[in-house]
Amino acid sequence: MALQVKVPTVGESIAEVTIANWLKKDGDVVQLDEVIAELESDKATFELTAQSAGVLKIVKPQGSTVPIGEVICVIEANGQVVAPAATTPTVSTAAQTPKATGGVKEMKVPAVGESITEVTISTWLKKDGDFVNLDDVIAEVESDKATFELPAEASGILRIVAKEKETLPIGGLICRIEITEGAPVAQPKTAAPAVTSTSTDKTYAAGHPSPAAAKILDEKGIAANQVQGSGVGGRITKDDAQKAQAPVSKPAESKSATPASAPVISAGGGRNKRTEKMTSLRKTIAKRLVSVKNETAMLTTFNEVDMKPVMDLRSKYKDKFKEKYGVGLGFMSFFTKAVCVALKEFPAVNAQINGDEIIYHDYCDVSIAVSTPRGLVVPVIRNAESLSFDQIENEVIRLATRGRDGKLSIDEMQGGTFSITNGGVFGSMLSTPIINPPQSAILGMHNIVERPVAKNGEVVIRPVMYLALSYDHRIVDGRESVSFLVRVKELLEDPGRLILGV
Amino acid sequence: MQYNVVVIGSGPGGYVAAIRCAQLGFKTAIIEKYNTLGGTCLNVGCIPSKALLDSSEHFHNAGHTFKEHGIEISAPHVNIGQMIKRKGDVVKANVDGIAFLMKKNKIDVHTGVGSFVDKNTIKVTATDGKETTIATEKVIIATGSKPTPLPFAAFDKKRIISSTEALELKEVPKHFIVIGGGVIGMELGSVYARLGSKVTVVEFLDSLIPTMDGTLGKELLKVAKKLGMEVFLGHKVTAVTNTGNDVVVKAEPKNGGAALEFKGDYCLVSIGRRPYTDALGLDKVGIETVKGQIPVDDHLKTKVDNIWAIGDVVRGAMLAHKAEEEGVYVAEQLAGQKPHVNYNLIPGVVYTWPEVASVGSTEEQLKQDGRAYKVGNFPYKALGRARASMDTDGLVKILADKQTDEILGVHIIGARAADMIAAGVTAMEFRASAEDVARMSHAHPTYMEAVKEACLAATANRPIHL
Repeated sequence: MALQVKVPTVGESIAEVTIANWLKKDGDVVQLDEVIAELESDKATFELTAQSAGVLKIVKPQGSTVPIGEVICVIEANGQVVAPAATTPTVSTAAQTPKATGGVKEMKVPAVGESITEVTISTWLKKDGDFVNLDDVIAEVESDKATFELPAEASGILRIVAKEKETLPIGGLICRIEITEGAPVAQPKTAAPAVTSTSTDKTYAAGHPSPAAAKILDEKGIAANQVQGSGVGGRITKDDAQKAQAPVSKPAESKSATPASAPVISAGGGRNKRTEKMTSLRKTIAKRLVSVKNETAMLTTFNEVDMKPVMDLRSKYKDKFKEKYGVGLGFMSFFTKAVCVALKEFPAVNAQINGDEIIYHDYCDVSIAVSTPRGLVVPVIRNAESLSFDQIENEVIRLATRGRDGKLSIDEMQGGTFSITNGGVFGSMLSTPIINPPQSAILGMHNIVERPVAKNGEVVIRPVMYLALSYDHRIVDGRESVSFLVRVKELLEDPGRLILGV
Repeated sequence: MQYNVVVIGSGPGGYVAAIRCAQLGFKTAIIEKYNTLGGTCLNVGCIPSKALLDSSEHFHNAGHTFKEHGIEISAPHVNIGQMIKRKGDVVKANVDGIAFLMKKNKIDVHTGVGSFVDKNTIKVTATDGKETTIATEKVIIATGSKPTPLPFAAFDKKRIISSTEALELKEVPKHFIVIGGGVIGMELGSVYARLGSKVTVVEFLDSLIPTMDGTLGKELLKVAKKLGMEVFLGHKVTAVTNTGNDVVVKAEPKNGGAALEFKGDYCLVSIGRRPYTDALGLDKVGIETVKGQIPVDDHLKTKVDNIWAIGDVVRGAMLAHKAEEEGVYVAEQLAGQKPHVNYNLIPGVVYTWPEVASVGSTEEQLKQDGRAYKVGNFPYKALGRARASMDTDGLVKILADKQTDEILGVHIIGARAADMIAAGVTAMEFRASAEDVARMSHAHPTYMEAVKEACLAATANRPIHL
């Protein structure tokens, strides 16, 4: 039996990969799930794992560029070679009690999506030492884009390696599962007599440092509860203490923070600082925003919209709309529709740079910025140009809710062609939004304020919203960007145009 | 002379602090009032008393157990002069050892009484009145303690004596009266009881060695009575009179009853020790003692920011090994390290025979704290090793948490208890459970098997040899 290993689909818009490194040689015996090569796309490096055990026959040499789907190697399952090294458990006996097979499954951080390089363990749903079944959800893991559940890759005893809140790179070791055969007989807790109280499981003494360890930890300024004890029952050994890393920044020491000679500014005001680790979401936001500023020729054009026509239309039909579609008629649907019409007319605004090429989209996938407790996320309304008002409103609500619950999948956030952000909900009068790469433009909505406006030679009070369009001048010319924004303005000031497309 | 650290007092706290300071690179000096280093412990405490305890034990065995062992000798006699001389040799070997260690660690020894001039200057007054002034950045006070006299009967050092004199007697007392049934009283009382003296112990409280677990006091009382000691518990001494060739002690039961009068040739007053800070000149640096003790914070620092104090002059048990731990603790702190002293796990030891040793909580404390606990006892009687050596008195008592099985206290009375307690300290420092210890291999035949068996008893009442 020979298995052809093909280049896997590693992400949308990736057509080919380069073989960066063969980690196994031609003719080597490889095990199931063993990493055999490192592949490189234009966006990320990832590991290729063996899909079966056997002898490796390399087809494409190191350095070659291979299209997705093409065979890069063959693994020949040679019984004689494989047998002695087989580590996978054989479930041959239906044992009543779990039987350690000696096999250990090392669970590593899976490649969860392109451009994701690290994840944070948000919650362990199973405890160290718990018995877990294959596919049981054992932990919740958070990337900068989404939260996902981690299923057990084998049945057995869970040995946690990465602690909660720890950040791991893709491929980093999360836990081990000591593979057992069969499931444990349901045992009432009381059936475990004191006899087992000194097993290696966590005990009352977990986290107790040995005398030498206590001194070392104190000197490093590390609390014992920040250290995973490797000693019997979770005790902290001297070695654990020596290897323990001091926290990145120590909380301000309140004792020494107020020298006696400090001038008294205010009698009761605390001056405490608080230091928190950056979440991977926040780190990614920071990194991407800076890179957009550095790598694009971004500038912003402004305009203002008289919102009266939209508001009139809305107040006239909002009850009927709600009755018919079960969803409120908001401004997002108007803006989304107007943007889609304008994008059709100015395709450069809906395009993106890909190396030496420009990709034009004949569809409008509109990303909408949603503020969540974890930070800003940007889910996508797909084919917004073909959606009706109620469909758009429904989609906005669905995506916003999922965003707030941290349930957005990576797919739901990838691939937008244009973004809309609404700083108006927080009261912003005017701002210059930053492009959401690799997109080329973003529309900033703002608050609606009654302003004196000159109409037909008379000053009238109108509800006005300022609009901002930030765009990448590398592919969007000033004429296009300004015209685009004027077009959006026209459509909103005369919503009838949206129906007629004029 | 300018030093980084000056230690006042060369007892086990002081000299250990000095050595640790020197190891850490401080220019260090030590001041000692007496001509020999080592303080009370080496000169008139632990070491000499142990020397006499061992001698008296041999004598006692020669007279009482040799025959059973099949060794026929004529009735042995005590040569008290030789016994005291040998004790003196043991002391000398030890204090010379300290002098060597000072030299090895390049610690300057200043002989004389140290007293503060100011917080950075110390005057050393030698016995001939010569004064030397030394300057230092930091000071560690380790001046120790002295025996507490009875308020109505000062030490006359002839008939009314302290432990110091009791270690220098020229004769075996005919009737040795001990006031205070604590550690020192029981140790020296048992020395003379074994040398043939009639020994009477008068204790105010209702138990011997009252700070230790009640079981130990009860067992020790049995052993003392077996040795022929007379023990009066719950008795208050009202008068002690030196009548020339004799001493008369009057006592009455504290709960009422007929007064008693004892006539003996020596009366050892061992009712406790008090911190010793005389002539230290604490007033010069603004330190005031509280109940004789030098007040210190959790880091053993006094109210003066370059002066620390350790050992018997500060709060806590008056034990040599406690002072040693504190000496190391302060020295390492001065070097910017962050050491710990686990006061709950400082073992207490009584060098009677059999010895008494204990660490952790007593059963009385656990009861008072309302903690759910379990007890495992194992008697020496059931131990092969103890039968072989005819040391069948005593027991090991393990106290463990009822839920977690964590060992909370180890209490031993029996042969080699003082050495065995270290295993208890180790187990407790690592928060071992009784079952942990029960599952560790203990060599056979040893006295330590009693600890393992007591742990089995504490775990689930399943000792093997009972």
